[in-house]
Amino acid sequence: MTSRSVEQRMRSAAKANGADGYRKSKMAMDGMMSTSSGLSYHNAGDFYPRKFGPKPDVVPSGVTERKVGPLDKPDMVSVDVINVSDSEVHLHRKKHEQDTYVLGTIHPFRKTHRSVFGKLLQEFRLVSSDRRSWRILLFGALNLLCTGCLLMWCSSTNSMALTAYTYLTIFDLFSLITCLISSWVSMKKPSQVFSFGFDRLEVLAVFASTVLIQLGALFILKESVERFMEQPEVHTGRLLVGTFVALFFNLVTLMSVRNKPFAYVSEAASSSWLQEHVADLSRSLCGIIPGLSSVLLPRMNPFVLINMAGALSLCTTYMLIEINNYNAVDTASAVAIALMTFGTMYPMSVYSGKVLLQTTPSHIIGQLDKLLREVSTLDGVLEVRNEHFWTVGFGSLAGSAHVRIRRDANEQLVLAHVTNRLLPLVSTLTVQIFKDDWTRPLLTGTLSPSSVPPMGPADGYTLSSSSLPPLLMSSGGELDPLTSTPSKPTSPPPEFAFDTPGRNVQPMVLPAPGHHAHRPYGSLGLAYGASPYTGMLNQGLPRPGGGLGLGVQGLGAGYGLGVPSSQSYRTAYGGAPAPLRFGTSNPLASQSQYRQYRP
Amino acid sequence: MEDKYSSNVLSGGKLGMVEVPNSRLTRYIVLLVVTKILKALGIFESYDILKVVHIVQFIFILKLGSAVILLFFQKPFSSGKVISKRQWIKLLKHAVFSCVISLLGFFGLTLCGPLRTLLLFEHSDVVVIALLGVLFTSSGGGPSKTRGAALFIIAVICLLLFDNDDLMAKMAEHPEGHHDSALTHFLYTAIAFLGVADHKGGVVLLVVSLCLKVGFHTASRKLSVEIGGAKRLYALDNLVSSMVLLPWVIVLSATTESKVESWSSLVLPFGMIVFSVMILEFYVDAICSAKMETPRCARYGAIALFLSALLLANFWTHPLTDQLRSMSKPPQQVSTEHVLSGGVIVSAVFFIMSSSILSSPSKKGQQGTLVGYSPEGTPLYNFMGDALQHTSQSLPRFIKDSLKQILEEYDSRQIFYFLCLNLAFTFVELFYGVWTNSLGLISDGFHMLFDCSALVLGLFAALMTRWKATRIFSYGYGRVEILSGFINGLFLMVIAFFVFVESVTRLLDPPNINTDMLTPVSVGGLLVNLVGICAFSHAHSHGGKSCSSSHGHSHGGHGHGHGGHGHGGHGHSHGSGGGGMNANMRGVYLHVLADTLGSVGVIISTILIRQFGWLIADPICSLFIATLIFLSVIPLLKDACEVLLLRTPPENEKDLNSALEKIEKIEGVLSYRDPHFWRHSANMIAGTIHLQIMSDVVEQRIIQQVTAILKDAGVNNLSVQVEKEAYFQHMSGLSTGFQEVLAMTQQMETMKYLKDGTCIM
Repeated sequence: MTSRSVEQRMRSAAKANGADGYRKSKMAMDGMMSTSSGLSYHNAGDFYPRKFGPKPDVVPSGVTERKVGPLDKPDMVSVDVINVSDSEVHLHRKKHEQDTYVLGTIHPFRKTHRSVFGKLLQEFRLVSSDRRSWRILLFGALNLLCTGCLLMWCSSTNSMALTAYTYLTIFDLFSLITCLISSWVSMKKPSQVFSFGFDRLEVLAVFASTVLIQLGALFILKESVERFMEQPEVHTGRLLVGTFVALFFNLVTLMSVRNKPFAYVSEAASSSWLQEHVADLSRSLCGIIPGLSSVLLPRMNPFVLINMAGALSLCTTYMLIEINNYNAVDTASAVAIALMTFGTMYPMSVYSGKVLLQTTPSHIIGQLDKLLREVSTLDGVLEVRNEHFWTVGFGSLAGSAHVRIRRDANEQLVLAHVTNRLLPLVSTLTVQIFKDDWTRPLLTGTLSPSSVPPMGPADGYTLSSSSLPPLLMSSGGELDPLTSTPSKPTSPPPEFAFDTPGRNVQPMVLPAPGHHAHRPYGSLGLAYGASPYTGMLNQGLPRPGGGLGLGVQGLGAGYGLGVPSSQSYRTAYGGAPAPLRFGTSNPLASQSQYRQYRP
Repeated sequence: MEDKYSSNVLSGGKLGMVEVPNSRLTRYIVLLVVTKILKALGIFESYDILKVVHIVQFIFILKLGSAVILLFFQKPFSSGKVISKRQWIKLLKHAVFSCVISLLGFFGLTLCGPLRTLLLFEHSDVVVIALLGVLFTSSGGGPSKTRGAALFIIAVICLLLFDNDDLMAKMAEHPEGHHDSALTHFLYTAIAFLGVADHKGGVVLLVVSLCLKVGFHTASRKLSVEIGGAKRLYALDNLVSSMVLLPWVIVLSATTESKVESWSSLVLPFGMIVFSVMILEFYVDAICSAKMETPRCARYGAIALFLSALLLANFWTHPLTDQLRSMSKPPQQVSTEHVLSGGVIVSAVFFIMSSSILSSPSKKGQQGTLVGYSPEGTPLYNFMGDALQHTSQSLPRFIKDSLKQILEEYDSRQIFYFLCLNLAFTFVELFYGVWTNSLGLISDGFHMLFDCSALVLGLFAALMTRWKATRIFSYGYGRVEILSGFINGLFLMVIAFFVFVESVTRLLDPPNINTDMLTPVSVGGLLVNLVGICAFSHAHSHGGKSCSSSHGHSHGGHGHGHGGHGHGGHGHSHGSGGGGMNANMRGVYLHVLADTLGSVGVIISTILIRQFGWLIADPICSLFIATLIFLSVIPLLKDACEVLLLRTPPENEKDLNSALEKIEKIEGVLSYRDPHFWRHSANMIAGTIHLQIMSDVVEQRIIQQVTAILKDAGVNNLSVQVEKEAYFQHMSGLSTGFQEVLAMTQQMETMKYLKDGTCIM
């Protein structure tokens, strides 16, 4: 991913400087690509062409340099000409990318030249390169062995209850597979078609395994109903042995393999009826013997619980069949185990199914409501609508919302504030600002966004799009902590964070030219669009050389952050010097670039 | 101690009822226990008497005897207010009901024996009401009550299934014409019609009459207030019911000859029964429920009664007790009758546990909903009853509404009709199987029911899809359809797996198959499923067409061509709306297809076995079918997975790419980032994108243009975030709060971790 973004930046830069530069930069990039791949992926370097970028197929090249031209009115004809000359390069690059994509292994479902098994083998080799997954594989092999044994015993004892219990072992196999998938997912980055990444695969695996085991339980129920009509003889010879083998094996698997997705789901999902009953029983037991409270009162692991309960009912079955020859007990305990399986798995499949259905998690609704209420009290915001918030994988929230604002409000300011409010909770956020009747000219032209040139040509600094806050944070520690909270007239003035780390300069309060007299901070956006940042950045950028340093440092940080977007968003007002623009790339690359482009 | 661990703050002792310490109540408890033991004795005695005395005569004597004694004690006519004519009529009705219930109870006694009758019939009202509350209302009162109800039900089932009473054989030899009266004869025939053994019929009868008894007690409470006290009502009721029974008794004694040798020898047992069962129990219950709380009274009473019944059942037929008994009957074959069995003991234990759980007062307090916090910080609850919040619909109305909803739309209508057809076929098969006692047919019927569950799932999903969007389901319920398709696919996989395993075991050891019944059933199934295929193939080809463009191979030659659906860079023809892929219908269709394949396989293998005697044909056919099902379900699963994993919709991929290229060329757009497009449901493709534009461009115009372009590409739920340089300045200005710094450092750490995490892994 990283070197892809670097490459891209370099490419766009190269285009700006002509084909020659492009070739040179490509060479540099290729060298760098290999080093970085060797750096980051020791083991599986070759299988990772895709790690070079979560980037759109369409490279936004030829865009930036279009803007280099005259600012006032871009001439369509000249732009087209530039684009034609660029598009050849672009096409070439694109074809190259296509090749990497096709050869790559990211698309589990895309037809490639490799066979399905070849791909699977590759992925498997990738996963097995991790030491931790060896244990999972070992347990999986043991599980297969044990399941086969148990199934044989099931058919020899002719016991339905043991079959139902064996399905729990099969479920263990599924959970091991889920574990493998989760470790695979953690190695994968989002691709172009799976733009949210593969986190959902974990959820899907959990859902599929819980649903499968429930379907198995349904099958057991059906068989049991058929058995109630004609109860066959049950041989108890291997019954107890099978029970204890399965119980021992299940418990060992549960204890020794750390199963992240299932641990999460069993924590997060609502408790099953089995858990509730055990909790109730143990609470009343603790009322009698308080010493047991530390053992019994915490929430039980549902898997341990169902394994224990199943083993218990199988032991009862064994006893009753041995003593009284009640063969029907076998069927009854099979029904009991199936029902317990349902009870245990149902909450988990509901939880993961809700994630798959893109629903808002109900425990987060309160928090979200509070944030949205805060957002709707921001100055200029009329309403928030079409809000969709949902979880991508287990835990990470994504969302989008449409914010309708007043016609005279500053869109970018509101956008920044809304994003700022929601971003801590919602990590993948898209906010669409909506204005009624925006075509109609405003009565007060002062606040229209187009009429405000936010930056003078003097402040030539580079900004990376998404990594911007950390950029400025990390690069300019002495920067001004200027918060701008647009507030309603009644609300208190904006607060300043005095004791945030890296702050030793007095906060600067703006002399905001209020456009209504009674609203002191109403038109802040206009004011500090221009002056405050300029001032503050001028602190950080006294000289162009310093600016370069800032860029390198800052974007190095941004790159280290691995922000999903690798597109750099740069605005170069006037003729910013080329080295400055190259400051946006990887420190390593920028060194080489710097040497190249500095005559 | 209890308070410390109780979940609810409100149940913390102070607010609930105050329990009187046991020490003050000891004599009442002892009295109760003694009464209950005497009652158990009385019931055992009356079982023996009922063998010789007709049941109606028996009840008449009981009622009359107690009426005489009660008249002597209570003096209902001389004391209290005068009873009006209307009240007499009510009293008459009351008496008739009480007669019916005691008839049922004592008839159950003759069927089941005293021990089982005591276990089933002698539960106090509190227990039964709590049980019914758990079973039929949503808020039963916590898991403990549920456990009690489950124990109760298990105990009844134990009595039904695991109690191999020897009496069954004895009752079977009971000649049908021997019954003494029309009433008992009717009851016997009713039980025989149910097709269960007499003793099991008795269990069912007793459970039903227990419920009747509780209902009767509850209903008579109002009358007892009207009459002036429960005791007066009881006295009058006994009198009236003995008068009601009088004519019947006269007719009976006139028409049938009595089996009783000497009535005089029965006087003492009758007196004992009247005293213990009718009088003493009534008075002691009244006293105890006045002095103690009803739940505790019920708990001690039940424990005493059941334990004494168990003991008595063990020793009643013992030779030692035979000598002590007042009845000088020779100990005949009685000793084998209604013996203790393991099932009875287990169910007695369960009954004791369940009655003590169910009769314990609900610890949970009232269920309140949290409304907020008081200024002091204590939580505030709203204790409006559930009845006020839930407006329950009447059942017929609900059925009518949902039927209307189902029939509104094409998909759900198809599924519904086919489900009805399938269910009809299944029930015909089941009934025919029961009629002819063919196990194969019955099990096939259950198999069909199993398959019907997939249809039900599909129907439910098709209904849910049309629900309105809510706060939780902010995009609407359209995605349910895809999830249901996925589950149906998994279902088919499971079926294929089981068929596979079964056929492998059969391949190793081919069993002898009786092919007589198979052919008509499988032909019938085939016909039903063919109808289904005809109904669903339209929907499927509809859906298959739009999704087949992504994977250009047809699956398995099912006779429906995947239309080419020319689609290239210009494919705006299949934009929004239209018939997107409907995973749900595909799943249902595949299910029907699998069933059809199964029927065909059975027919073919039957023919092969009949003609050539190839027993191996059956497992091979099954193997083949399992493979076919498996192969046909893979595309469905694959597509559903892609949608669930939020993949960019493959059929729109090219359009989207060209749309993105177009967006780049919009005047004023610098670049874009984070383009996410995914199919949410059949007719919704959602998308989010962030755009960076030049600072002198109007955002709203860009949003309009981008929305239009992406709408052309099929995205119909879009959010565009338009960012200018000012946005980043604002963000950097804003990001100095403590929270953000924290978040940022955390983010940085995780990223660092990821970075070298990739090295490790």
